[in-house]
Formats: sequence, structure tokens, C-alpha cells
Amino acid sequence: MIRFASITKTFSGVTALAGVSLTAATGTVHGVLGENGAGKSTLMRIAFGLERADHGAIEIGSSENRTSSGPRSPRDAARLGLGMVHQHFTLVPTATVTEACVLGASHGLGLVDHAAWQARIRATAAMLQWQIDPDARISSLGVGQQQRVEIIKALLSVGSVQGTASPFSARGVLILDEPTAVLTPQEVDELLPAVRRLAAAGTTVLFISHKLHEVERVCDAVTILRRGAVVHSGPVAGLSTQRMAELMVGTTVNLPSPARQPVTGAPALVITKLSERANAPAPRLTDVSFTVHQNEIVAIAGVDGNGQTALVRCVLGLDRADAVVTPGIPADQRLAGVERIGLIPDDRQHEALVMELSIERNLVLKDHHRPPFARYGWLDFAAWRAHAVDLVQRFSIRGAGPAATVASLSGGNQQKVVIARELHRQPKLIVAINPTRGLDVAASAEVLERLVSARDHGAAVLLVHHDLDELLSVADRVLVLFGGRMTDSGWPACDRAHIGRLMLGVA
Amino acid sequence: MINDLLIVVVIAQTLTAATPLLLAGCGELVAERGGVLNIGIEGLMLTGCIAAFAVTAITGNSWLGLLVAMGAAMVLGAGFALMAITARADQIVAGMALNLVAVGVSGTVWRALQSHGVTELPASAGFSRGWFGWSGWSSFNDLPVIGPLFFDLYGLSIATAGLLLLTWWVLRRTRIGIVIQAIGELPDAAAAAGESVHRWRWGVVLFAAACAGAAGAFLSIMRTHAFVPEMTGGKGFVVLALVMFGRWRISWLIAGCLLFGLADSVQQQLQSLPGSRALPYQFFQMLPYVVALVALAGLSRSAPGPAALGKPWPVSR
Repeated sequence: MIRFASITKTFSGVTALAGVSLTAATGTVHGVLGENGAGKSTLMRIAFGLERADHGAIEIGSSENRTSSGPRSPRDAARLGLGMVHQHFTLVPTATVTEACVLGASHGLGLVDHAAWQARIRATAAMLQWQIDPDARISSLGVGQQQRVEIIKALLSVGSVQGTASPFSARGVLILDEPTAVLTPQEVDELLPAVRRLAAAGTTVLFISHKLHEVERVCDAVTILRRGAVVHSGPVAGLSTQRMAELMVGTTVNLPSPARQPVTGAPALVITKLSERANAPAPRLTDVSFTVHQNEIVAIAGVDGNGQTALVRCVLGLDRADAVVTPGIPADQRLAGVERIGLIPDDRQHEALVMELSIERNLVLKDHHRPPFARYGWLDFAAWRAHAVDLVQRFSIRGAGPAATVASLSGGNQQKVVIARELHRQPKLIVAINPTRGLDVAASAEVLERLVSARDHGAAVLLVHHDLDELLSVADRVLVLFGGRMTDSGWPACDRAHIGRLMLGVA
Repeated sequence: MINDLLIVVVIAQTLTAATPLLLAGCGELVAERGGVLNIGIEGLMLTGCIAAFAVTAITGNSWLGLLVAMGAAMVLGAGFALMAITARADQIVAGMALNLVAVGVSGTVWRALQSHGVTELPASAGFSRGWFGWSGWSSFNDLPVIGPLFFDLYGLSIATAGLLLLTWWVLRRTRIGIVIQAIGELPDAAAAAGESVHRWRWGVVLFAAACAGAAGAFLSIMRTHAFVPEMTGGKGFVVLALVMFGRWRISWLIAGCLLFGLADSVQQQLQSLPGSRALPYQFFQMLPYVVALVALAGLSRSAPGPAALGKPWPVSR
């Protein structure tokens, strides 16, 4: 059981939380919904002892665990029986699963009893019906497996501090911060039942998300935050996803549903029988052929790890592939040249942005050496500033102005910086990989609308996306990658289930 | 007598020559595993040299000399930690500063000692061979082969072997090792686990400094019984290279240090050969550096090293 009572928190005069109250009963999964910036992260940071509330109280488990303004530190939170799985994993890649758990779930400096820890890890995994090798290196695990390690670690941290023999304690509280943001649909399907099993074992789960259908699937009750205040709290049953979305963003959100149009444009990307060399690691791209024309969005659906990475590298010219032709753009100029591809990469923080540089500099990152941003070898900072002011306004990038670092922006606004830089020059071909990953509903819709609008203005768009609902809402054609082979689903002349079967290779 | 055989003499010299490298390398390896690259190890060793020499020459107490050498190096190491960890300055720049300070300070102290007529250790002072002067062991010194290779060593050589074993065990089997791995690979993970990254990094830097100080003391009050300005002669940088080429593994570090020690021992023998005068002695002194670096560069596959090595934490503030 965890109860927040009138939690208030202000950051330098700005109210982040205005008297938020929330009660999650023992053994239930309680959803916390809200847009980026609605205050759900701040609330959870207070619960976990990373921030202190200005006013209010938090009660964990029972009344003797009532603390005036929340735990004083993560260690204090663990003592009270609260564990948290952060959205960004904090697992040392070179460590083993056991070492990761020892680091996160125990204190002191002493000798590590590996056998005992392995037994604890296995017991916890078995309880959740997971397979985990305690000796596996973190770097060898996929994202879904790493998340399981994080969950086990959080559970052990609660159990070990309380000194209970069982890794679970009935009053334990587990916070899952956007646990599905990094998962494939299959991994989500495996995670959600495990969350239910946790609740059945007596753990109280706070499930932070902005994916409505997941909240609907896994939560007993939900609290919806908007601008630091609770707008709704109650059972999930009887609350439609449409209603949840309305409560979250204040207005009805419609995912863009473009008018389908016949393909009329010239080919912008032609791939003819692309195969990786015979000794390439599985899944090996085999006989992949397709064309993306101007004025269309071709979406590649597929479970992560079925050849998407290799395909994208070939399209971008990072890997040499003669089978890939981009009319008008030489292979080695796809990223660097004037006629280059507009690229929205998967990992925006590492592959698209320099986090410590300003918004302004990130916006000219690819053109700073060319007119009008540089003349005769001199950089024209005034032109940079004017350009940034223009794009910040046109793409509604909300933050502390063009001189602020990109790191200071929310995820959605960071993505807007990427999109502004890549789309303002009206590239003929746009490659977007999971462009809404980690974004809330409104920001996702905005990103997808930008892609649709670019398409309507003549761009050819290749969209590789893990979220099937979003993908179907914008795609003109849907191709499915499975095991390195490409199938044309026939969309829109087929149903969603058919695509799902193709993605799983059972069609 | 078998103990006078060239091979036995060379191996015994190898162990002695490798000791300061192993000692300083052990500390530096731990610091780098913890994400701190201290290129000031040379300066810390030099500080150890002069501090040990000065204290031993003045007080006649070589134990005190060793302790003060470690303490002086830790003071300088604390200065480095203050710059590179707390103030998040560039670790390379802070390390360079350390080297420059050490050359200046040691030179100044040396000249002050000279002006007071203190230029050599009293005959009774300085460590002699044997297990920390315990006479019981010296009776074993004449045993064939194992006498010179095991008993007739400086106490610090033997302690170094113990330190290496202990360090290996701590890194591998205790939570200390797990935390050090975390602060070197992903400091955020250590912080998320409630550990203070800064406090731990201070810890590994001070440990490395103490090791380097002891290594310096070994050079001045044990191996040579003298101080010569800049007597470390780049051994601190050799240590850096050995840790790196050794892929941050203790076993490879030991192999590299022993190889350097062997080359050093061989060049000493070469210098005593008749006719060696035809070549300048610097040529011989150069050999161990060349051999160790060429061999290690050739043998070792490159490894990325700790992911957060040399990076201040937190990355942005």
C-alpha cells in the first residue's frame, strides 16, 4: 500500500505538483498517467527519495512508515519497502546479473556470497515465471531481459533491506517508470502478465505510462495527472481509452488518419534484391526488394531484431550495398551531401543530438559550414540565431530559448529539434526509425503529423516503427520484415491481425 | 655456488626491478578500473622518492621514511582528486599538473637537503634485504635458488606480491570490487545504488597515490639508497602503458611488469660485459622500455577499457 497525501512541490517558483493525493491499495496495479511534464516523474522521484516534497506526506505499507515529506534517500525508500525501476536502466554492461543485483540491492563492502545471491535471483525469477541466468553479462542481454534484471534488483532491494527470507514482502511497493517504452510488442506481452503476478503476490505496483491500452490491460486503478494536479482517480473498469486520453491532454486527441492517395511520385528509394553476405549474423537480410516513391509513407513493421538495423544502415549508405539506389543521391552522399536524406534515428540522444550543445547549434549541426550559415569560411552566428528562432517557432519547440542546451529539454522537445533540423530543408527522402519512442500521446501525434505533412509536400518517407497502431495510422503501404525477409502485407487492403501474423512469421 | 649462476642473478634482479612498477601499477589499475586516469603517477612516485629519502636521511628511520613517502604522495593525490573529481577538471590536465609540481618540489627539497649537507643515507638507515629485517628469515638466504629468489628480497617486494593477491581477491569477490566496476563503467549505476561516486573515486585515487608513494620509496631508500633528481625516469609512464596494454587485468599487469624487470636486469648484465663501453650506457638503459612496450603492443589486443575512464562525473551539472 502506498498513499500520497497532498504532495506539493515547486521548482524555483514553478509548481510541479499541486496537492497531489493518490492511494494504491495493497496487491493492486495502479496506473499513473500523464503527459511529459504532467508531474508523474517528480511524484515518483519524491516517493523514491530523490527529491523532497515541500508539503504533504507519504505513507508506505502501514501507518508506522508514514514519513512527513517522503523518504530521505533511495536507501531510505528501500528500507520502507519501496523499489523503483527507472526508465533508463542503470545496469553496468560489464557486470553479471548477480553483480548488478549485489550492487543495487545490498550495501556494505563485504564478501559477496554468490551462491546465495544466485539462489535469490533464481527464486524471484521463478516466481515471475522468467528465465534468468545469474551469470550472464548484462551486455549480452536484450533490452527486455535487462528490464527483468532491473525489476528483480528492485524487488531484492526491498526484500534484502527488510531482511525477509522471501524476496517479496506483502507491503512492498514497486514503481515501474514507463516500463514498456523500450520494449518490443512481444516483450510487452511478456511483461504485463508478470506485473499481474507481482500484484497477486501482494506487491503494490505503480505503473507509470502514457500508453493507454497498456494501462487498460494491466491496471486495476488509474490516477491521471495534468499540469501537476490529479484530474481523475479511480478504477480502470468503465474508463475508455478515449476518455483517458481526453483527461490526460484536456482535449480529444486524434491520431492523424491521412486520406489515402494513389502513388504518383517518382521513385526516391529503390532496393532490388538486397541480401547480406552469406556469413552475416542472423537475421541475414535476404532478397529484400521494395521502392519508396515521392508522396508516400512506406512503413516497415516487424519485431525488433529482424533485420531493421542492417536495412537502415544499407539505406543510409553506412554499409555498402549496391542493391540500394537513391535516385539523385550518390551512395556516399546520403547523409552528408546537400541532397541528403532527412534522418530521424532511433537513439536521438546519441545519434541525432549533441546534448551539451545549445538548441541553436544542434539545429545547424549539419549545415553550419555552408551558406547561409557560413560565408568564406566565417561562421555567421546571427544567421544561426535567426534560423533557430524561426524553427523554434515553426516547430513549436518549448524550452528556455535557442541558447539553452538540448539536454535541458523534455524528450518530446528534443525530438522536435531533430525533426526541425531534418525536415526544414524538405528532403526528398526521409528515414524515420521509431520516431515516437518515449514520447507522450500529444508529442507522438505531433511527430506523426509532421511526417504526414512532409509526405503531402512530396517527400518519400521510410518509416521503421515498433508501435503498430501508430504505424498503421500513417502508413500508405506496410511491409513486414521477419527473419531478414520482406513481405508486402497488402495494407490497407488487409487487417491488423494479418500484419501481426506476418510479424511473427505465422502467416 | 648455484646461487651465483647468471640465470638466478638475473631473475632475482628482475623481481627487484619489477617491484616499483607492480606496486604503482596495482594502485593505478584500481584507480582506472574506478574511472580515474591519473597520469600524474610519475610525479607521485617522485614525491615518494624524495620524501622517503629526506625523512630517512634526517631521522635514520626508514620505516618512517616509507610511511611519509606514502603520506606525501596521498597529499598530492588529494590535490589531484580535488581538481579531477570534486571540481571535475580534465583528468589529463590535472595529472600533468601533478607531474610538474612533483618535479619542482622534489628538486627544491633536494637542493635544500644538499645545502644542509644531507646527500646520502646514513649507513645504518634504509631497508636492507630480507623480510622486513626479521633476522630469522635471513638464514634461508643461502638456500639454493629459492634463497635469492624468495628470501633475499626486499620486504616491500614480498608485500607487493601480497598486495596484488589481495587486490585481485577484493576486486573479484567483494562488493568493493562491484562498486569500483560500477564507478568505472557506469557511475550512474553506482549513484542509483546509493553509493557516492565522488567518495569512491577519492578512495581509489588515494589508494593509487599511497601505492605510488611506496613505489617511490622503494626506488630511493631500498634499491639505490640515494636520491637523484627525476630518478623515476619515466617509470610512472611505463606503469600507465602497462596497465593499459594489460587490459586492466592484474595478471597481464604482472606479466608486463616482470617483462620490464627482466629487460632491466638483462641490460644491467650487458653493461657489465667487457666491450660494452663501445656503446653509450643510455643505450642499455633504453632497452627495457623498448622491449616492454614493443612486446606488449604486439601481444595485447586492444581493449576499450572502463567505459567511464577519464570522464568526470556527473557529466553535466
